[in-house]
This record gives sequence, structure tokens and C-alpha cells, in this order.
Amino acid sequence: MKDDKLTIVSFLCNWCSYEGADKAGNARLNYPANVRVVRVMCSGRVDPEFVIQAFKEGASGVLILGCHPGDCHYKKGNYKTLRRIYLLKRTLEGFGIEPERVRLDWVAAGEGERFAKVANEMVKTIEKLGPLELSEV
Amino acid sequence: MAERIGVYVCKCGPNIGDKIDVDVIVNDVNSIKNVATAKSHNLLCSEDGIKFLKSEIEKEKLSRVVIAACTPKMYEQKFMKACEEAGLNPYLMQMTNIREQCAWVTPDKTAATEKARSFVIAAINRVLLQEPIEKKEIDIQPDVLVVGGGVAGMEATLTLAQKGRKVYLVDKSPCIGGLGARFEEVYQTMECAPCMLAPEMQDILQKENIETLTHSEIEDVVGSYGNFSVKIRKKARYVSEEACIGCGACFEPCPVEISNEFDEGLSKRKAIYLPFAGALPNVPVIDKDNCKKLKGEECNACEQACPFGAINFGDEDKIIEKQVGAIILATGSMLFDPKSIPTLGYGKFDNVLTGLQLERLNASNGPTSGKILLKNGKEPKSIAFIYCVGRKEKGYCSGVCCMYSVKLAHLLRDKLPDVKIYNFYTDLCLPKKEHQRLYNEAVDKGAKFIRSDGTENVTRVGKNLVVQYKTDSTKKKVSVDMVVLASAVEPDESTEKIAKLLDIPLDEQGFFSEEHVLMKPFGTPLEGVFIAGSCQGPKDIADAVAQGGAAAGRILSKLIPGEKLELEPKVAEIDEDLCSGCSTCITLCPYSATHRDEEKKIAVVDDALCRGCGTCVAACPTGAARAKHFTKEQIFAEIKGVAK
Repeated sequence: MKDDKLTIVSFLCNWCSYEGADKAGNARLNYPANVRVVRVMCSGRVDPEFVIQAFKEGASGVLILGCHPGDCHYKKGNYKTLRRIYLLKRTLEGFGIEPERVRLDWVAAGEGERFAKVANEMVKTIEKLGPLELSEV
Repeated sequence: MAERIGVYVCKCGPNIGDKIDVDVIVNDVNSIKNVATAKSHNLLCSEDGIKFLKSEIEKEKLSRVVIAACTPKMYEQKFMKACEEAGLNPYLMQMTNIREQCAWVTPDKTAATEKARSFVIAAINRVLLQEPIEKKEIDIQPDVLVVGGGVAGMEATLTLAQKGRKVYLVDKSPCIGGLGARFEEVYQTMECAPCMLAPEMQDILQKENIETLTHSEIEDVVGSYGNFSVKIRKKARYVSEEACIGCGACFEPCPVEISNEFDEGLSKRKAIYLPFAGALPNVPVIDKDNCKKLKGEECNACEQACPFGAINFGDEDKIIEKQVGAIILATGSMLFDPKSIPTLGYGKFDNVLTGLQLERLNASNGPTSGKILLKNGKEPKSIAFIYCVGRKEKGYCSGVCCMYSVKLAHLLRDKLPDVKIYNFYTDLCLPKKEHQRLYNEAVDKGAKFIRSDGTENVTRVGKNLVVQYKTDSTKKKVSVDMVVLASAVEPDESTEKIAKLLDIPLDEQGFFSEEHVLMKPFGTPLEGVFIAGSCQGPKDIADAVAQGGAAAGRILSKLIPGEKLELEPKVAEIDEDLCSGCSTCITLCPYSATHRDEEKKIAVVDDALCRGCGTCVAACPTGAARAKHFTKEQIFAEIKGVAK
């Protein structure tokens, strides 16, 4: 099945984006089932290693969602992630992994529609790029 | 001993049951190593479900539990409690969300089942690596600091102090009572505010367990919920609070006269002064920037006049340190300065006033002893109110200006029965149950309400003020004696400084940002620091009082003398052997919860301060920092489950 190769691992912060994803569910919005969720307390917890591990485990894309800038439950965790992921993307590029395979974005607790939109967009991006063949790298 | 995991998949009636093939999942995971049993249940959160879960844990001798159900935001706490009651550490349970994030967003049953299966497998992988976490409790300091002695701060103080708890009330001004004490009558009861507030103020000053520090500001705060250490600067008053009896003999001889900010510049005050008659505590203060003696000139008029030797020119600022368990900020608000809208003539023409200036004219303890007078000492025959001054500039409706203007219109018609009143508004904000009635009564009393387009322009023609306005697309004008501007409410000037000091956020409008705008409007993101009154956003007296009481209630329910405070259990910890002492974690921590142990040359986490965000863990270059319940190994195990 095509979907099997195109798993997207999403790291969602507990306070905003995870709730945003719940809101998408409450509103019965649809997005592809290959968007999978790992809950973290803050987007600031997302270690670049998590992203690499997700790729190693077979994910073709990684989504990191946090509170909007200025809204972080832990004040500034999302800013730390912003810097970290920027650096990570540049590093990945050096290894031939398209930086578009990693997307950092913001979804507030009330933004169910936004979550579904970002999830759908990410699936489209990854479908265009195709599965990540790590062995080639 | 081999692990025994119990996996329970909830059907949530048809919510999950119809969308996901629960039996397939149960069958599939039953054969996974360490899974002792996998079962489905129709409604796990029900009384029957909880009973079932508890009996399963006991009967199957489970060492770990996975629950696949709704979002953990709904019942995680309930399931954790059930585990605990069945003798299983609640952190050995993992929930996975197959309803909101699977069943409800995936119309295709096969795809939904496949996704849910990956979630359950991820949870099984993860739960195996989870560790029991024990509750951690700390001793607390039950005393509370309240900053700001307006209606919200006073309500909070009195609520907290009821049963003998020590409360420190700090106000930067020489008196308590806030803005409310400067009004004569307040809507919606048209009650005399000083009469309404005086008993509360007296109560505060007389209660032994309340220490009121006026003319004081907080300078430094360290610590966390339960144990804050606060430095307060008690500014030199130059008048002994013990010796002064408030006779006022010192005012008259003082040769200095300057504009009185407490009368909004409408009166003069001396360098030694009380903000207004009846201000409490009834102890004057010497304004050191204007006092001749304190500027080094020859003068000791007040000292000579004081029959009690209360004047002390040698007084100095004192830094007072207090230990408190919680802090309530009730620092209030001020009015938008209409000078920034030059077309309204404020500051340019006489008799163009702000709403607060008219309040002072109307106040019996104000500059005219309550007479409504023009600059020339005559009574006005016509007054125009311009609404929504600063709404566009500030970008929000202050919600109280319409009502204070309607109230003033009432009072003016009572005091000056023949006065013509024109109210120019674009939108009227009359949200509460009594407000519409008050507005109707103002109309009945003859106040005119004219809907204009908000482009009012004030000019002076001869002795009169002329308000030009546009209504129904027609330009019109009216000549009046006085113009009153219903200015917007903005945060007090101290707000930003206090936010920096405590490291708490401000919102886009510059008010203190709430912990949650709807559910926790009295909390801040910093645990143990609460907000009440108009420092959180414009509000009327009733709402400010309610918020003051709510913030106090939150503290009363958690900060109980003799009891301990439960800490966040999912905190970061640092492995001494792995820590290289690079201090990366220290610079990143938003709560200053990590510090350096100079002797061991490593970083240490303070459990009482750590909130468990994990930012330090993600950044630690040696892997010494570890997030309890969100370790790298646990998350890797989860990734393994979902990524396939």
C-alpha cells in the first residue's frame, strides 16, 4: 500500500497543537491516516534526534507543531525549536534529504481547521517527494 | 519478573466501535510479547468501565496498562486514579488517542484501524519503558503578597486574610483604594464609592494580619509557587507613620504648589500632601522631587508646623524582604491620553476633559468639592460627551467607557437640571443586566444620544467649544461649554516593568496575559502568580472584585497552612556522571529551574521550579538531561510504533 511508505510522524505539543488535533477530531475534519501522532509536553522537547529517528524508522515526513510564537505554555520553548529545526533542515539538506520533509508550524488549541489544513498540506508535500529512501543517502 | 501488560481498547459506544475494527486490534496485539491480555470495552470511562479496569489490574496481576480511547485530555486523570487505586503506579499507564485523532478524522475503516493499531503498538512499546514516578511535595509558605490596593486587590486581600492568614498589600501610591476611591458615585447602583470602599479600606488597615505597604513597589522576586522571596522598596515618606495622626497641620505652611495628579491636574497640591481628602492611610507624604528642603534649599515649614514631630527629612528608602507562597497582581489600569488625537482639542482648549477629570470635578473630595464648574468658575449649560476615544488607536473596546459616560450624564442632569447633554457615539456597549435600564433612564432624563461616525472634531469659536460631527452622512455641529472624552482604558504604566520582573507575558494590548483566557483568566503562566482586576483587561468594579475573589480562592484552595504543595512530577533530571557542566540547559530554561553546582561543576534541576517542558533535555549535548515520563528512549519506542 502506498500509504505504508509515506508515514508522517507528527510531534505535537501537549498544550496547543495536540488540542488543535483533538479539535479537528471534534469537528470531524478529515486528513489522511498516515499522519501519526507523538505527544510531547512542548515543541521545545523535540530533539533533532527524534526527527532523524523517525526517518530511520521509516517515516517519509516529520511534522513538528507547537504553540504560536508568544503563546508557548512554557514561554519560549517554541522559539528554541524554531532555531533548532532551522539548523536541522540545513544539515539534512547536506545529506541529500529534502528539507521539505520536515515542517515546523504553529497550531493553537482552538485551531482544528488549521491542524487539518497543515496535515493535508504535509501529506501532499510528501506525496510529491515520494518515500524517503534512506539507504541511498 | 516478566512484564504483564494489559491493553484495553475502548469502543466509546459507536464513536470508536463503528469507525475502527476494535476486534482486529485486540487480536493483533494479544500476541505481542509481554502483553498479558488485550480486551475491548464498550465505555471504559463509565463507572462499570473503571471497575472493570481495576479488577483487570488486580486479577491479571498487571505491571503496565495501555488504554486506547479518547484524548487523554478527557479522562487520563480518571484512569490514572483507577490504576493507583488498583495498586499500580499511574505512570505505568499509557493512553493513546484513537478517537479524536483517529476514529473521528478517518472515514475509511481499514485505514482508521491500521492507524489505531500503530498507535496501540506505539503505546505498548512506550509503556514498557515507562517508570513509576512518586508524588513529590514541598513545604509551603502560606503568606500571600497582593500588589495593588484597588478594588480587586482589596477584595483579594480581605478574602485571603479572613482566617488569620498573613497578607502583604503593596501599593505604589501613598494610599489604597485605587481608581475606585476617586469616583463619587459608581454605576450601576449610583452608590457613593468612598462610602462603599471606606469600610473595606479601614478593615485592611486595621486587621493585624494584613501589612499594608503604601508608597512601595516590588523590586525583585525569586522562587516558585509555595516559596517566593520578594524584595519590596518602601519609599521614604519623610513622615513617620507611627507619629503622624493625620491632622493636616503641615499642608498650609508648605510654600510649594504643584499640579495634583490625583485630581488629574485640576487642582494644586503641596509638596507635603495627601492625594485627596479621606485618602487612607491618613498619613501625608513628602514629594521629594518638589520639596524645597529635600532639594537642598532652606525650608522646614512643615517640620515646624507638625505638633507631633512626625516629619523626618532623614527618612530613607527601605528594602523589605518577605517570604510568600503566592502573589496576586492587581495593578490596575489608567486612561488613554487623548492628547495623541489632536482633533479632539484635549490639552489645547480649556474645558475639554477626560471622563476621569469630570469624575474628579464631580467628587466631593475633588478640586471643586463636587461642583461641576468650567475653568472660569461658571456652571456649564451644555456638555458634549465623545465616546470611544482611543478605541481605534488601542484596537479594543474598553467596555466601561459607555457606562461611565451614561452614569456621568445621569449625575450631571441631577446636579444641573437644565444642562444640555449630547452623547456622540458610534457603538454603544451596554452589556450587563442593569446597563440598558440606566441608558434608558439617561435618555428619559433628557440626555441626547447621537450616533455619529466617530470623526468628531473639537474647535474653539470665541468662548465656546464646537463639536463637528457626521451623522446620517450629514455634517453637523453643535456649540457646547464643555467636552468630555470617554477615553479608553489601558494598562497601568507599571505593568511592563512588573511583567519583566516576574518574567510573565503581556498580551498584545499590553495587559498581563492570562494562563488561559477563558478557563483561567485569573492565572498567569507562572504558577503561583495570579492576576485580578483591570491589569488583566478593562473591567468594571463588579468584575474586578469577582476576579480578586477568584484569585484569592485559588490560593486558599491550594496553599493550606500546615499542608504540603504537590509538585509537577514530570520534571527534568540531570545525570551527574554525564553532565559536562556546559550550562546550555541553564541558559535555555524559561523558569530558571536549572542552576550550576560550582563544587561539582555540573547543572542541577530545582524540582520546585521545573515545569517539565523538556527544552533543556532536547538541547543537552551529552544526554545528561532527562525528561521524566518523556525520555528519549520512551519517545523512540513510540516513534517505532507509529512510523511503520
